[in-house]
Amino acid sequence: MDELTAIRVDEFLPHPPARVWRALTDPRRLARWLMPNDFEPTVGHRFTFRTDPVPGTDFDGVVHCEVLAIEPERLLRISWAGGGNGLRTTVTWRLHPEGTGTRLFLDHEGFDPRWPAQQVARRAMGGGWSSDLWRRLEAELDAIDSDGEG
Amino acid sequence: MEAVFAALASPVRREILGLLLEGPRPVNQLAAHFDMARPSVSEHLRVLLDAGLVSQARSGRQRLYELQGQPLADVGAWLRPYERFWRDRLRSLRHLLDEEEEAAAGG
Repeated sequence: MDELTAIRVDEFLPHPPARVWRALTDPRRLARWLMPNDFEPTVGHRFTFRTDPVPGTDFDGVVHCEVLAIEPERLLRISWAGGGNGLRTTVTWRLHPEGTGTRLFLDHEGFDPRWPAQQVARRAMGGGWSSDLWRRLEAELDAIDSDGEG
Repeated sequence: MEAVFAALASPVRREILGLLLEGPRPVNQLAAHFDMARPSVSEHLRVLLDAGLVSQARSGRQRLYELQGQPLADVGAWLRPYERFWRDRLRSLRHLLDEEEEAAAGG
């Protein structure tokens, strides 16, 4: 099932594709809305995004990337590998002119359903059921427990 | 999905899944970790098998139990934190573009 391995979101931006493209490919602008980086708009360029490590996970705050495809003002695709946590994915931005603005499509693909299971299980073993999902799961488990599950 | 929740409700079964994270194991190796008889461990394994959280494979004369990630992944919207991340970022992108336009119009 695609929904289990990919995220697809889109957003209408009331700005022409040229402006949106600049915000996607100029490292200083990219840093302002996404994360500090050493991006260059060249296929094959390897770079990183750097942010804070996420407590309670294996993510060390560094995203390792490579520019995979560029079609100016139309498409940008990069690989997206989580430092420390085994994540191996790709992120694709597609720009479609819409009226005087741009519809920006974002596809973050290639999540391995086995990977979160391992994360989740590790977290479960460590007792750190932190995210919304796990709060919800805990609530379900409490309900089952109070129903007399042995 | 109910079977998965029920299977996860037991600390022993969660511990079994934790052991299987390191790789497939035969039942006697799993039983060695617990202060309980092997048939009890087998019973827990049966629940995990029925929930699809664990699969069985034969290796020579041994039966190995292996962790299956799919049901845990199905348990719910595991990509939701990433989706939230991207929606937030796209909102920031929009703000950046709006600010640049205002600056250009004002300057």
